[in-house]
Amino acid sequence: MDSLLVQHIINWAVMGSIYTLIAIGFSLLFGLLNVIHFSHGDVSMIAPFVALGSLQLIFGAIGGDAGLFAILIALALAIVATGLVGVGADRLVIRRFRKSPAMMALVATVALGTAIRELIRGFYPQGSNPKAFPTIADGFLSFGGGRLPLQPVVIILTTIAVVALVWFLLHKTPTGTRIRAVAEDPDTALLMSIRPDRIFAFTFFLASAVGALGALFFASHAGVVRFDFGVQLGLIGFSAAVIGGLGSMSGAVLGALAIAAVESVVQATVPDGASYRLVFAFLLVILMLCLRPSGILGKTVQEKV
Amino acid sequence: MSAQNPSVPDNLALPAPLVVIAAQVIGAALLWGLLTAESTLVILLLLAVMAAAFAAMQIRPQIEENIVAAFRRSRRLALMVGLVLVLIWPFFLIKNTYGMHLVIVALLYSVLALALNFQLGSANIPNFATGATYGIGAYTSALLAINYGFSLWATLPAAAIVATAFGFLLGIPSMRTKDSYLALVTIAFGIVIHQMLNNLSWTGGPNGLVGIPAPSLFGHSFMSPINVFGYRLPAQANFYYLSVVLLGLAILSAKRLHESRIGLAWNAIRADELAAKSQGINVAWYKILAFAVDAFLAAFAGTVYAFYVSYISPDNFTFLVSVTIMTMVIVGGMDNTFGVIVGAFLLTLLPEKLRIFSDYRLLFVSVVVILFLILRPRGLFPQRQRSYGGH
Repeated sequence: MDSLLVQHIINWAVMGSIYTLIAIGFSLLFGLLNVIHFSHGDVSMIAPFVALGSLQLIFGAIGGDAGLFAILIALALAIVATGLVGVGADRLVIRRFRKSPAMMALVATVALGTAIRELIRGFYPQGSNPKAFPTIADGFLSFGGGRLPLQPVVIILTTIAVVALVWFLLHKTPTGTRIRAVAEDPDTALLMSIRPDRIFAFTFFLASAVGALGALFFASHAGVVRFDFGVQLGLIGFSAAVIGGLGSMSGAVLGALAIAAVESVVQATVPDGASYRLVFAFLLVILMLCLRPSGILGKTVQEKV
Repeated sequence: MSAQNPSVPDNLALPAPLVVIAAQVIGAALLWGLLTAESTLVILLLLAVMAAAFAAMQIRPQIEENIVAAFRRSRRLALMVGLVLVLIWPFFLIKNTYGMHLVIVALLYSVLALALNFQLGSANIPNFATGATYGIGAYTSALLAINYGFSLWATLPAAAIVATAFGFLLGIPSMRTKDSYLALVTIAFGIVIHQMLNNLSWTGGPNGLVGIPAPSLFGHSFMSPINVFGYRLPAQANFYYLSVVLLGLAILSAKRLHESRIGLAWNAIRADELAAKSQGINVAWYKILAFAVDAFLAAFAGTVYAFYVSYISPDNFTFLVSVTIMTMVIVGGMDNTFGVIVGAFLLTLLPEKLRIFSDYRLLFVSVVVILFLILRPRGLFPQRQRSYGGH
């Protein structure tokens, strides 16, 4: 097969995976709270910084060759920490807008995103500079004559596993049933002795941790991370969730793959495509919403009088 | 409470004209203090005074009611005092060109915030593309001025027409989508415009457009200072007065639209779209109209901005600019013209005057915005109920 084509396909799958991980968070939270958590991208972007920081600490403590083990610990730390930041964001800010009009929550979360970016920029050592980010999985996978770089394989397989896990959690476990119950109707859920606040906290943790994984993959794939990467990643993740149909998990996956596909095709075919990538991606978003106003898999709600 | 009794209280504690003049002079003095203060302590003190005023209004809504009632009673006096204050304002900032610059930027942002208010405030349509229509206006007039030698006065209508066309275009998806979905359409539109400006060669790419010629009026170049009564106002005063006229137009159109059937239709859509539709209101048309009006005004602001700074780049018109404008409307008070203007001034001046926090000022501002939204959720000056007849 044409090796360039293979490269494009791999790139598409990797970007699709990253966008999927971000989009799932938007979808989960919207399904539950009917709130767009606009700082989701920025919360997720905390993870690469935590990972970098803890990697430095670990290397400092153990010395040069901490290897794979150290990287795994750093990643796990970053994911858990980001999940907790997500819970904290809900406790401190988002929770207070549960009963307000949607626009207020939206503006509040946008301000929260700015605050998070500025915190990273101001308090992480030399936070305004881009930081080199190591590849999480170096090396190649050889099979039958050809060979594949390891990192895309890891990213794609992990994403598939995580999506399956989240789906299993939502649909086959008691916790998932509770989450869906609260999403349906928090007041009735309360009567069924479900504590909505716990469910909210858990969902925020889940969404932010999954987003953290996406941001880690993004940083690792790009090889670099900067405090404001979360804005664009968040916008694309949000778009993916919306064109797929907010609140639907398979929609989020479809939307993410569609946006990544447009980006890859544009990059491969249009001259100077790299700079017009976003133009085409967001034109697709506009077009999709004009044709199917509630997304690919979204349910059209008939308003009753 | 005022909700049951919107009429003017008969016995005000103070005579209305006094309240009006005092309120306006104090407001102007606070703004002047904020602009000229150099030391952090004074700035924080002034902010504390403002915070105290809002706290007082929060605890005792009657104070606010009384002031509003006083303004209603002596409307003509209020207008005259306001006009005088606005006219003599530059004389207090002769030495302070930076303060003058901030006021001009704040005035232009007020126009933008009022433009957005037609949608967000009146009709509750989320629009994250005000920054984009602002940019379309600025780029249209800059391109016309640089390439074809158009003057400011000729580019104003041209930019407005182009931007309004884009506004109509952007409004079309609003016929089918709403809420978060519509918000995303406007976000996407804003990003597409920003990316195009950033990548196309004839818009100057990321470097933008340089060398927009200074406008002139009746032979008086806007680059030269104004000499009146032996005072020499800096050249920026030209743009100050121009922006004031623009804001005046924006306020006037906001008022006229609010009092017309169009404003009523927008409010009806905000209250309940379905009910509005069954009343025979052409919801789609009025939504598109809101987008067009927003674009029209934003283009004016963009044109004046382009000629004022004589240099524009795509970074002046990003998604975050749109979000800032939206924050101004929400912090100031949706559908309250005065509140929106106060919001625009506060959010323009705060980040600039808090340079002492240098690296942390954006952080500070975003925390303040979140606190405002939590503590005074309906904005600094909440929208007032419509009153018919009488006062």
